[in-house]
Order: sequence, then structure tokens, then C-alpha cells
Amino acid sequence: MSGQGTSLRRYALTRIALIFPMVFILVTLVFLLMRVAPGDPISAALGGHAPPQVVANIKHQLGYDKPIYQQYFTYLGQLARGNLGTSITDSRAVTDIVRVNGAATLELTFFAMIVAIVVGVVVGLLAGRFRDSTMDTGGRLFGILIYATPVFFLGLMAQLFFGSYLGWLPISDRASPITQATLQTHTNLFVVDAIIDRNWSALGDVLRHLVLPAVTLGLVTAGVFIRLIRVNVMRTMKDDYIEAARARGIDERAVVYHHAFRNALVPVITIVGLTTALLLGGAVLTETTFNWPGMGRELVVYLGNRDYAAVQGIIIVFALVVVVVSVVIDLVNAFIDPRIRY
Amino acid sequence: MRWQLGAFSLLVLAVVLLGATAGRSALGGSSASSTLIDGTTDTVTNLDPAGTYDYGTFTADYQVFQHLMNYTNGPKLEPELATKCFPAGGLKTWRCNLRKGVTFQDGSAFDSADVKFSIDRVNNKSILKQAAANSPSPLIGNLKSVTTNGKYAVTFHLKAPQVTWPAILATQCCNIVPSDTYAPDKLMPNTSQQIGTGPYKLVKYTPGQQAVFQAYSGYWGPKPKTSNLIINYYSKSSTMKLALQKGEIDMAYQSFTPTEITSLQKQKGLRVYSGAGGRIRYLVFNVTRDPGNSAAIRRAIAYLMPRQAIATRVYHGQVTPLFSMVPAGYQSNTDAFATAYGRVPNQAKAKQVLQAAGLTTPVPVEIWWTPTHYGDASADEYAEIKRGLEKGGLFTVTLKSSEWAQYSATLGTQYNVFQLGWFPDYPDAEDYLVPFYRSDTFTQSGYKSPIMQTLIRKELGAAKLSQRLGYIRQIQALAAKDVPIIPYWQQAMIAVGRNNVHGIPSTLDPTVYMRFNKLSKS
Repeated sequence: MSGQGTSLRRYALTRIALIFPMVFILVTLVFLLMRVAPGDPISAALGGHAPPQVVANIKHQLGYDKPIYQQYFTYLGQLARGNLGTSITDSRAVTDIVRVNGAATLELTFFAMIVAIVVGVVVGLLAGRFRDSTMDTGGRLFGILIYATPVFFLGLMAQLFFGSYLGWLPISDRASPITQATLQTHTNLFVVDAIIDRNWSALGDVLRHLVLPAVTLGLVTAGVFIRLIRVNVMRTMKDDYIEAARARGIDERAVVYHHAFRNALVPVITIVGLTTALLLGGAVLTETTFNWPGMGRELVVYLGNRDYAAVQGIIIVFALVVVVVSVVIDLVNAFIDPRIRY
Repeated sequence: MRWQLGAFSLLVLAVVLLGATAGRSALGGSSASSTLIDGTTDTVTNLDPAGTYDYGTFTADYQVFQHLMNYTNGPKLEPELATKCFPAGGLKTWRCNLRKGVTFQDGSAFDSADVKFSIDRVNNKSILKQAAANSPSPLIGNLKSVTTNGKYAVTFHLKAPQVTWPAILATQCCNIVPSDTYAPDKLMPNTSQQIGTGPYKLVKYTPGQQAVFQAYSGYWGPKPKTSNLIINYYSKSSTMKLALQKGEIDMAYQSFTPTEITSLQKQKGLRVYSGAGGRIRYLVFNVTRDPGNSAAIRRAIAYLMPRQAIATRVYHGQVTPLFSMVPAGYQSNTDAFATAYGRVPNQAKAKQVLQAAGLTTPVPVEIWWTPTHYGDASADEYAEIKRGLEKGGLFTVTLKSSEWAQYSATLGTQYNVFQLGWFPDYPDAEDYLVPFYRSDTFTQSGYKSPIMQTLIRKELGAAKLSQRLGYIRQIQALAAKDVPIIPYWQQAMIAVGRNNVHGIPSTLDPTVYMRFNKLSKS
């Protein structure tokens, strides 16, 4: 046992220590790619409107005409002081972008994952349990269809049908303009802020605005989970201990839900965790379709403007989120599954 | 399992019903008549006026800040925080007498110290660095210094005579802020309260999402017709269109695609308003490199430019053919290109010009455009230009494109014939001529004409209007003759509003200012 504990501890420490070089490599790559890509934030803002000398002067003031290695070390020095940077195009601190837009992404991701897990688990379980039945065929078709459908197309159809044609649900934004204007900002998570203020009207409005984007993103993500859970359930149902449970006379429902299903979910935890981490990086297409002011949408805008500072800062945050979540999942898996050894 | 499914279904239903009842008033499309909600696809950079040059931010700032002179009611320049601005001994020195009794939104009194402070800080080194590409300092490139003359007068000392200096005072460079509140060397962050003397106070700003304004109770001028204003920011015009159709917003300004405008024109409950505008689109030649270095090729293309086809087929009549860099509607506009090359494409003349220059047709031409800065219709626009130039077999056109960040960085180095667009810093013919035809033009066309430089210098320093108009006309004629640039359309200022929004036509003019304070809702 102590050997296993030492092994797990060593593994955990190694994984945590590896976070820093992984993020460092990513930061360096992004820095170089942004500098190598044609264009710069000053020309993007002033090109086509200001004389070249003005553009050159500003680039000089900001140090963009210095050698790349000099700019790189200046940036590393800034990072070492804990400064993630400030966007060039709109002077926003990266921490502010993460706080405001990250909260929007977090809120969308949270509800989308609820939809994805519920739909994915239910459909995947039923499909796996009733293999080769109509339910299985239907579940698989649904999973493939939903996974193959581009998320922006699904979103547009949802907007047109539920929002425009039926008029049931709002088609964009996190809240109606007046709700957003009057809602007190505490956490930038509108659902939480409305609850804190006991503003039930605002809460209802915010939840209604969440339905279409969360369901759209959740359904597309569920497409992955459906197939994975189905396969895992079918595999688990064939295991010897399931046969043994049946032989002992345990009720079929209990066999499926208490034994097979739980074990089938273990690999799914990894996928769910990684998917969540990736979505926290911003579901760009969903955010753009629904005018959801998340990190992904902001990153695309800053990329288009070649805003070095903002892009680098946001990607560092993304990298940290993905890497940390990945490490946590691995450790959780190692902890709950004694068969996993390192 | 069944009960869990049932419970989930009930939960979903509850969420929707909760919103259906609790959220109904916010979604009913019936915003309170005291709140006007505008949608836009424009973006905001720095709300502090010392760090802003872009149009999207200017629209927001226009509601909060004021200038010494301004286009308060239309394209006529009027005193605003000044009572009068006049040349004090030649056009190199300008004196402005200031309005008394004006207070900023933080309660402090406005006086000459605030004017000097506001304009000096635009050129502060630290602010220039923070503002980076967003600094409006190029607009006051001709300013040497500002001095105060007592509490209610200031004097501007210029480097060179400039008759349009009062128009410069109405631009982004010269918003007036309180000297007690703003730092001289640091931009006020967007997360902090911006303070001006304008009809609205900015009470809440969420980057990329929303700007919320409330009428300023201490405003010295006429109160805004609507007490509350919300500007909602959208990343896509299609989403904004749906929001407008659903009633989530009351109006939308900037900007829809031509197809979306055409669709909205047929929509019940909505009206599309169109007024004289100041945005133009033009084709630039680098006159130092092939093929732009051939005057014959430039003139032949000028003969063939399919302006009407672009206006009709691509923009559905939402733009009009442009025959001079100075838009139609300006007093000094002369349609010089129509005079020189006709109003409709003329293949015979184009062929004549090419043959006279000894050029073999078809002449190969590579034309660059960008799909990510000038709207989705640019692709169709350039397809139409290609079609027009290739008609008659005079040219073989290769179209190339790159996204804006790359395009804008390589204008002078890589592209020989390319697309650009312009919106005015100030609605004067000068702003449509000087930046394009002076020797250090931002277009990087390489155009350097001593005659043109002389005309520009004379225009800038012309004290009499008749003299000035004369120079402007001569500049347009020479521009058409030398043709380093071919203007081809000007855009109407377009806004879409629900039927219960009033006053929109009154704010659509060549200034392209959206004066929300003049709009009301019933």
C-alpha cells in the first residue's frame, strides 16, 4: 500500500511540476507565431487611415520595432512579475477579460455540460442497455446527427425556430438589455448575481437567455458522450462480474444501474473533464452565434486585430485551465481506480 | 430510470416557465418608453477620449463629452462649449471664447484650464503610449500650443495656417474633460466613470456587451428626448437583425449587410431610414510600381469603373456612384471624374487610351481587397469591378484578398492596386482630399505632385471661402487627371428603427454623427 501511495504522490508531484514547462512552451510558441504572422495591432488599427510615419512612431513607442528576442525577454519579465498584460486595442487588463468574459464562458459551459451529461448519459445508457433495439438505433442516429451538425447551424436553426418563428425564447445575449443594465454585478455570473440580489425577474430572464445557447452547445457535446457511454455500457455488460451478479439473482435493473453503469462511467469522467476544460477556453462558434460575450469570442476578435498582449494573456489562462483540469482528472482517476498504477 | 427522466423533464419545463412568467416584461419587445435601446456591430476601444480615434467609441463618447465647436444639429459647425472661435491675427492663431455656467457631470465647473488640459493630455507621452493606435493626436498634428486667456478664453497656436481649425476642434482629439478628475498622463480605464459635459452620463459599461447612459440632470443644453439610452454591442449583424425583429432592441445603427437592409425594408413594424452619408470607397494605385505607374492604365480603369453596377447589383441602391473623393452633397463637390471620364463605363475611350500608350490588351492587373474590414459585400463588389474591367477584353483581372491585419500592414509594400474605404474625421471637403493627395499620404500610393502640394497648402491657408472653394475644385480636377485614386461609391447613413422610435431622419447627415439625444419613443 505504501508503495502505491508513494507512487501516486510521486506521480502527482511530477504532473504538477510539468505544468510550468508545458505552459512556458505554449507561451513561447504563441509569442513567436503572433510575431511571425503578417500584420500587427498598430497597422490593423491605423492602416488605411494614418500616414506610415505615424504608424512607425507608435510601433517604436511600444517597442515593436525591437528585435524579437528583446521583446520576448521583456514579455517574460512581465509574466514573472505576475502581469498577464493589457490589450493593445482597448487597454483591457487580461485579468479583467478573464473576470468578465471568463465568467460568461463559465456560465455557458456549466449549463451546457449539464445538458450534455444528462442527454449523453440518458441516451447513451439506454442505447447501450437495449443494444440493437429501436432505442439503440435511435440513440445512435441521434448521437451521430447531433455530433455531425455544425454547432453554428444548429444554433441558427434554434434561433430561427424557437426565437423568431415561435417567439418562445430570446435569440441572443446573456440577458435582455434592460435586465443587463440594471443587474448588479457581483460575480459576473448572472445567474448567481440575480440570486444574490433576489431579483427573480432577472433570474428568469437570464435563465431564458441561457436555454438556446446552452442546449445548442450541450447537444453537440452530448453527441460525443452518447457514443462513448454506449460503448462502455455494452463492454461492461459483458464483464464476468455482471454475469456473476445475474447468476446471484440480482434484479436486472440493479445489475445495470448499480454495477455496470457506474463502472462504465469511469472513462467518461476523463472525457467530461477534458471537454469542460476545452469549453472553458470558449466555444467560439456558439458564442458568436448567440452574441455570448465569452472568452472564445474575445480571443477571435483580438486575434483578428493581432493584439499580441491580449492573445498571449488569454492563451496562458486557457493553457493553465486545460493543464490543471487534465492533471486533476488524472489524479482523480488514479485515486478512484486502484487498477491504475504509475 | 423513468422517474429520473420525468424529473428532468419537469425541471426543464420549470426553468422555461419560470422565465416565461418572471422574465416576460423584459422580453416583451415593449421596452419602457423612457429607455431607447440601440444595437450596433461597432466596437469600443478606450472610452477616455484621449485614447480613442475609432468610430464606434466616438459614437459612445459623443453622448457624454462635448467640444468647443461641434456639428450639434447637422452638417453646420456650431459653437458648443465655446461661444465663438475666430482667427486672432492670421490663420495660425485661433481664439475661442468659452461658455459660462457649464458644469461637468461630477459637479465641477468648466473653464479654460479644462480645455488646455484636455488637449495637452492627448499629446502626453505616457498617454500616447497607452493609447497606441487609438490616439487621436494625428488630428492635432498642426497644433503648436494652447494657452489660456483668463478663465473663459483659450488661444490655439498652430504650426501652419489652417482655415478649418474650428472643424478640427469638433473631432475626437478635442473632447473636453475635467482637469480635476482625469490624470494628465494616464488614460481613465473603461471600468471607471467617464465624466463630460454632454447630455448623457455613462452609468455602466460592460466591454463588448453594453453601454448604459442616463440623462444628465445638470446639462446646460436641451434635455435628451429619452432619459435612458442603452447601446447593445453585437458581433454579427445577423444576430442584431433578429434582435431588432423580435423587439429586443428599438433601433440599430451600424451596420447591416445590403441583403439584410433589403430584408428589413419589407419588415412590418420597422422602418429603414437613409440620409446623406460620408463613407466612401475607392481604389488606390501605387504609382511607383507596375501597373499603377502607367497613367494610361489608371485612366483606362477610370473609364471602365462600373459604379452603377456596384450600387445596384451589390448594394441594392444603398450606395450611390461617387465621382470625386469629395462626396456629393458637399458644397465644393465637382464630380471631377464624371467630367473627365463620364458617368458610365466607356470601353471605346479606355481602349483609345491604352492604344495611345502602346499597350497590348488585355492588360493584366492584380487587384487586392480585404474581406474582413469593409463588410461582407466586398467580395461581390470586387467581382463586379473585375467584370467591368474585363468587358471588352481590355484587362485581365486577378483578384486577391487577405484579412485586414495582414492587408493593412502591407499596403505600401505589396499591393499595387487595392481597395480602401474612408469615413471623415470632420465633414469638410478638406478631410477627403488632403490625407489622400499630400506627399505622405496614408494610402502609400507613392503619389507626389508638386502642383498638388501647392494647391493643398493654399487651400489650408485660404482665408476667404470663395478662394478655398476654388482650390478645392482645382484639387479635384487634378486628382481626376492624375488619377492615383479612383473613388467609386459613397454610402448613405442608414439606421433602422421600430415604428415607435422618432427623430431618426433628423440625425442622418454627412457628419455621420448619431445624436441619440434627439430621438424619442412613443
